[in-house]
Amino acid sequence: MKGKTVVFYLLTILMVASLIFGAACSTTTPTIATTAGAPSGEQTITLNLGTENNTIDPNRASWVSERTVIVQCFDGLLAFDNNLNLVPMVAKEIPTVANKGISADGLTYTIKLKNNVTWSDDTKVTAKDFAFSIKRLFDPSLAAEYESFYSNIVGGDAYYASADKTAAEQTALKDAIGVKALDDNTLEIKLTAALPTFLDLLALWPVYPIRQDMVDAHGENWAQPDVNGAMPYYIGNGPFIIKEWVQNDHYTLVPNPNYWGVKPILTKIVFKEIQDANTALAAYENNELDQSGVPGGTESATMADPNLKPQILRYPTLTTYGLRFNMTTAPFDNALVRQAISCAIDRQSYIDKVRGGVGQVALSWIPPGMPDYDASLGQDWAFNPTKAQQLLTQAGYPGGKGLPTIKFQYANTGTNPVLAAFLQDQMKTNLGVTITLEPYDSKALSALVNNKQYSWAIYGWGADYPDPDNWLPQLFMTGAGNNKQNYSNAQFDTLATAALKELDNTKRLKDWADAQKLLVADCPMVFLFYRQTFVLQKPWVKNMVTTGMDGTPGDTFLRNVYIIK
Amino acid sequence: MLRFIIRRVLWLLLVLFVVLLITFILMHLVPGGPWDREKALAPKVIAALNQRYGLDKPLWQQFLNYIGGVLHGDLGVSYSQSDRTIVSLLAHGLPKTLTLGILAFVFAQAIGIPFGVAAALKQNSAIDYASVLFATLFASIPGFVLGILLMIVFSVTLHWLPTSGWGSIQQVIMPVFCLAALPAAQTARITRASTLDVMRQDYVRTARSKGILESNIRVRHIFRNSLIPVITIAGPMLADLVTGSFIIENLFAIPGVGRMFVQGIFARDYTLIMGGILFYAFTIAFLNLVVDILYGAIDPRIRYE
Amino acid sequence: MTAPANTVVAERPHHTLWGDAWVRLRRNKLAMAGGIFIILLALAAIFAPLLTPYTFAKQNYSAILQGPSWAHPMGTDQLGRDTFARLLYGARTSLAVGIFTQFIVICIGLPIGSIAGYAGGKVDNYLMRFVDVMYAFPDILLVILLRSVLGGSIFNIFLAIGLVAWVNIARLVRGQIMSLKSRDFITASRAMGGMGRHITWRHLLPNALGPVIVSITFNVPRAIFTEAALSYIGIGVQPPTPSWGTMIQDGFGLIFAKPYMLLFPAIALALLMLAFTFLGDGLRDALDPKLRR
Repeated sequence: MKGKTVVFYLLTILMVASLIFGAACSTTTPTIATTAGAPSGEQTITLNLGTENNTIDPNRASWVSERTVIVQCFDGLLAFDNNLNLVPMVAKEIPTVANKGISADGLTYTIKLKNNVTWSDDTKVTAKDFAFSIKRLFDPSLAAEYESFYSNIVGGDAYYASADKTAAEQTALKDAIGVKALDDNTLEIKLTAALPTFLDLLALWPVYPIRQDMVDAHGENWAQPDVNGAMPYYIGNGPFIIKEWVQNDHYTLVPNPNYWGVKPILTKIVFKEIQDANTALAAYENNELDQSGVPGGTESATMADPNLKPQILRYPTLTTYGLRFNMTTAPFDNALVRQAISCAIDRQSYIDKVRGGVGQVALSWIPPGMPDYDASLGQDWAFNPTKAQQLLTQAGYPGGKGLPTIKFQYANTGTNPVLAAFLQDQMKTNLGVTITLEPYDSKALSALVNNKQYSWAIYGWGADYPDPDNWLPQLFMTGAGNNKQNYSNAQFDTLATAALKELDNTKRLKDWADAQKLLVADCPMVFLFYRQTFVLQKPWVKNMVTTGMDGTPGDTFLRNVYIIK
Repeated sequence: MLRFIIRRVLWLLLVLFVVLLITFILMHLVPGGPWDREKALAPKVIAALNQRYGLDKPLWQQFLNYIGGVLHGDLGVSYSQSDRTIVSLLAHGLPKTLTLGILAFVFAQAIGIPFGVAAALKQNSAIDYASVLFATLFASIPGFVLGILLMIVFSVTLHWLPTSGWGSIQQVIMPVFCLAALPAAQTARITRASTLDVMRQDYVRTARSKGILESNIRVRHIFRNSLIPVITIAGPMLADLVTGSFIIENLFAIPGVGRMFVQGIFARDYTLIMGGILFYAFTIAFLNLVVDILYGAIDPRIRYE
Repeated sequence: MTAPANTVVAERPHHTLWGDAWVRLRRNKLAMAGGIFIILLALAAIFAPLLTPYTFAKQNYSAILQGPSWAHPMGTDQLGRDTFARLLYGARTSLAVGIFTQFIVICIGLPIGSIAGYAGGKVDNYLMRFVDVMYAFPDILLVILLRSVLGGSIFNIFLAIGLVAWVNIARLVRGQIMSLKSRDFITASRAMGGMGRHITWRHLLPNALGPVIVSITFNVPRAIFTEAALSYIGIGVQPPTPSWGTMIQDGFGLIFAKPYMLLFPAIALALLMLAFTFLGDGLRDALDPKLRR
C-alpha cells in the first residue's frame, strides 16, 4: 500500500470501527447511513463468492452463496436490519395483532403492501406476485428445499406431495393453498397452526416476489443465463439487476434503473468464484478482489502484519460449532462420559492459541447476538481436567480403562483436521483416552450422520433466521428431522411444543430459554465455539455493514456501500 | 488401413460403454449422495428431489436410460449447476481445458526438444548440466506448489500478471507454464537420451566418414530419428495434459472441465461425473488412435492388418 | 584378422547381465548419489525416534507456528508439532506409498503382461482389450473415485494408486516379451528342447525386466506425487500419520504466513524425486543391452 498516509489509516479505522460497532446506526433498507467522505472514483466492488451457485431462483435456492446474489436483486415483504430486527420492506408495516395484520388466533395474516414498489422493467409489484411465488414454493416439480420451513401455510404440504397426481388434481391442490391476493396491495396468508416466528420467515428469500409471466413463458429458464451469460428474464424488484452470469466464472451486477427505493451508489458489483483460499488472497493482494478471507491458520500472522492489520474485518456470525455425540452408541449413552469429555477440552486454548483469538468459547448452543443467548449457561461442563477425570471414574472407566474405542468423524475441509488433531491430543492429555480420527469428504460424512451411523462428529449450525425457533426444535425435539444425536427429553419436548405456538413473545422466549437450560444440562454435545468471520477488506470500501447472517461479508447491505478512491 | 480404423472405432465405442459402466458402479459405491447436507433435508424434500432427477428408479434402469440418452446426444442435466445440460457444461468448459492442454503441450515440446538436442550435442558441457538440472528440478515440484510460487512472484509481488481467471493472454501464461513444466522436463530428457543414442549409431558414423557436412548429418539423420521416441510419448502426453489439468484449473480458477469434474465428484453430481469421464475416455482413446495411425504412416516397418 | 602370435589373449571373465549392470551403475556418480540418498532417507525414517526427541503428534500450544530455531530445527506447525519430526515420520508414509504401490503394480502388471506377451493370440487379445479399458480412464480421476469408494486408510491409498498404475507396466512387459520372443536365443533354447515355462522364467523375464525396473524406479516418486495431489483435494492419507503430501498441503495453506512450512516438505520431496530420477537414469543406462561390451 504505497503512498497511503498514517492519517488515512487512522481515519479508515475510525470509520470502519464506528460503522461496525456504532450502536446508533440502525440501517433500515433502503436508506443509506452517511459517513465522512463523499464517493469518488470508480464505484465498483469485486467480491469472492467462492463457489459456483446451483440456482438463483428464489424459490429453489438454498445455499448461502445463492442468497448473496438474490438479496441484491429482490426485496421481500419484510427484512432484517443490521441489528437483526424485523423491518417492513415491500410491506407497509409489520403486521401485528394491533394493526389487524395478524388475526387474534394467529392463523390469518393480512399484509398491506406499499404502493410504489416496481419491478426492474417499471411494472408494479402487486400482491399477486407474492401469492404466485409462495404457491410456487410448494410446486412438487420444483423440489424446493426450503419448503419445509413454510409447512404451516394451509395446503402447502399437500400440494408439495402431489407429484404422482393428475394435472387436474394438482391444480386443485394448488388453488387450495391458503395464500391469496385480496387486491393489488393486500396479501392474505392462512396458517394451519399459529406460528409466532412466521414473520421471520416472511423476510427470507424463498418467498420473494416472482414474475409469473416470466415463469409461464420460460419455465425454469427464467433464472438461467443464456449462451452469452445474459439473464433477460430474471426480473427482480431489488436495487440491482444481473448483467451477466458467466457460469463457473463470475456474476456482474449493475444498478436497477427503475428501483423503487433509494438508488445504490455502486455502479457495478462483480462476484468472482475463486475456490482456492490462497489464490483468493493473492488476488486480493493484487487488487483483483476488494475483500478476501485468509487461509485458515494464518489469522495470527495476518494480525501481526502491519500492512494487513488495518484491513481486517471481523465480526461474530450466528454460527455455533460443537462436537455432537450419537447418544445411542456406547459410551456416549452414559451422561457422565459425555460430561467428562466436555470438561476435558480446553476450548480457550484452542481459540487463543490455535485460532489466533478468532472466535468465542461456547458453553451453550444459542450464540451471542440472538435472543435467549445466555452466557452463564454451561459452566458445569467447562474445562476442568480434574473434574473430567472424576466424572470418568464415576462413569465406571477410571483413567479411561475399559472404555470402548472412541471414533471421531469429521469432514476433511477447512480447519477441521486441525481441530480433530487438537481434540485427539486433549483427550489423551486430560483424560488418558485415545481416540481414532476418521476424516470423510463432506457428502460422505453428511450421509453417515444423517443415517445416524456416526459416533461422534464435528457439527456446525448457522442461523436461517435469528430466533431460537430455528435453533432448538429441529435439532433437539424427540424424533425431529435434524435430531441425529437421538436426544430425547420429555420436558424439553413439552416446553418446545408450547413455545412453537406461544403468541406472547416474552413467554415464548422464556420457554425457549428454559428449554436450552435443560439441553445444556444433559450435555448432548460438547459445545465448542461461536464462529467469527475474519476477512480482509480494502480501505477504499466504505459503509460496509455486516450482520451475523451474512454469507459473503456485507452482502445483506451491499446496496449501501460506496467507494472512495 | 481403412478396415483397421473402422475396427478401432468400433472398439472405441465398446470401450466407452464399459468405462461408463464401471464409472456408474463406482460412483454409486461412493458413500453419500447429492442430497446429503449438513442440515438434513426433510425426507419429503429428498423424495421430491429424487423424483425430479430420476434417481428414484432402480439403478439398472437409470444406467440404461443414461446410455439411451447418450446415444441421442443427451447427457442429462447437472444437479449442482442449475440444471444446465451436461452437453452445454462440457461445451463451455472444453475450449478452456483443451486450450490449456494444447498450449502446455506445444510449450513443452517447444522448450523440451531444443534443450534436449542442445544438451546432447554438447554433452557434458555447461548447457548439458544446466538443462538436466532445470529439467529435473521442474519435474520435482508438484504443480500446485509451482503455481502458488509463480502467483506470489508475478502477481502479488510484481503485479505483472493477474492471479486467476481465464480470457486474456496474461491469465493464460502462469497456468500453461505450471502445467507444461513436468512434460517439458520429460521431453527434454527423452530427447537428450534418444539423440545421444542416435549419435552413437553406426549409420551416423558412416555418414561422417563419407564426408557429409555435420549440419546435414544433424538434420537428415540425427534429428529425424531421435524424434521417434518423442512422438511415441506425444500422444499419451497430450492426453495426460488435457485430462490432468484439474489441479491447475482449481488453483487458477479456470472454469474448465477438470475443475467441474472434481467438483462433481464431491457434490455427487452423477450426470456430471459420467459426462466428464465420457469426455476424458473419448479424448484419450481418440488421441491414442490418432497416434497409432500416424505411427503406421511414418514408420514403414509397422503394418496393420 | 588373427592376433599376432606373441600377443597375450586375456581370458574374458564370465559376466552375467546383472553383474555387468551393477558395474556400470557403480560408475555413474549421479545414480549412486541418488541411490545413497534414498537409502539414507529410508534409514532416517526407520530410525526416526533416534534422530529427534519429538514424536509427530506431540502438540505444544506455546510453540505454535514458530520459525526454525535450535529447539525446532525446521520450526513448528499449527499445533506446535515439530516439523523435522513430522518430516522424518512422514518419510515413512511417503516411502511406503511409493514402494507398496509398486508391489501392487508388479503383482498385477507383471503376470498379465507376461502372459499376454508370451501366449499371444486370443489370450493376448482379451487381456489387451481389458488393458485398453483401464487405459481409457484418466489416471488421477480414477484414483479419486477409487479412493472415495475404498476409504482413507493407508492401505486403501496403496490400492487406489496401484490399481491404476499397473497398466503401463503390463503393456511394457508385454511389449518386451513379444519382441524378445522372436529373438535368436529363445529359438535356440526351444531348439534345445526348453519348455514354455522354462523359457519364460529363465530367458524372457530376466531380459524383459530391465525396462520394467527402470519404469518402476520412476513410478515411485510419481506415486508420492499422486498422494500429494490427493492431499491437495482433501482425500490424502488419514491423520494423525503425517505424510509429505499432507505436509505440503498444510504448508500450502500457510504459504502467505509461514512459507517455510511449505518449503521444507517441498524441498524434501524434490530431492527425493531428483534422487529417484538419477537412479532411474543410471539403471536405464546400466541395463541397456546395447551398451554391453
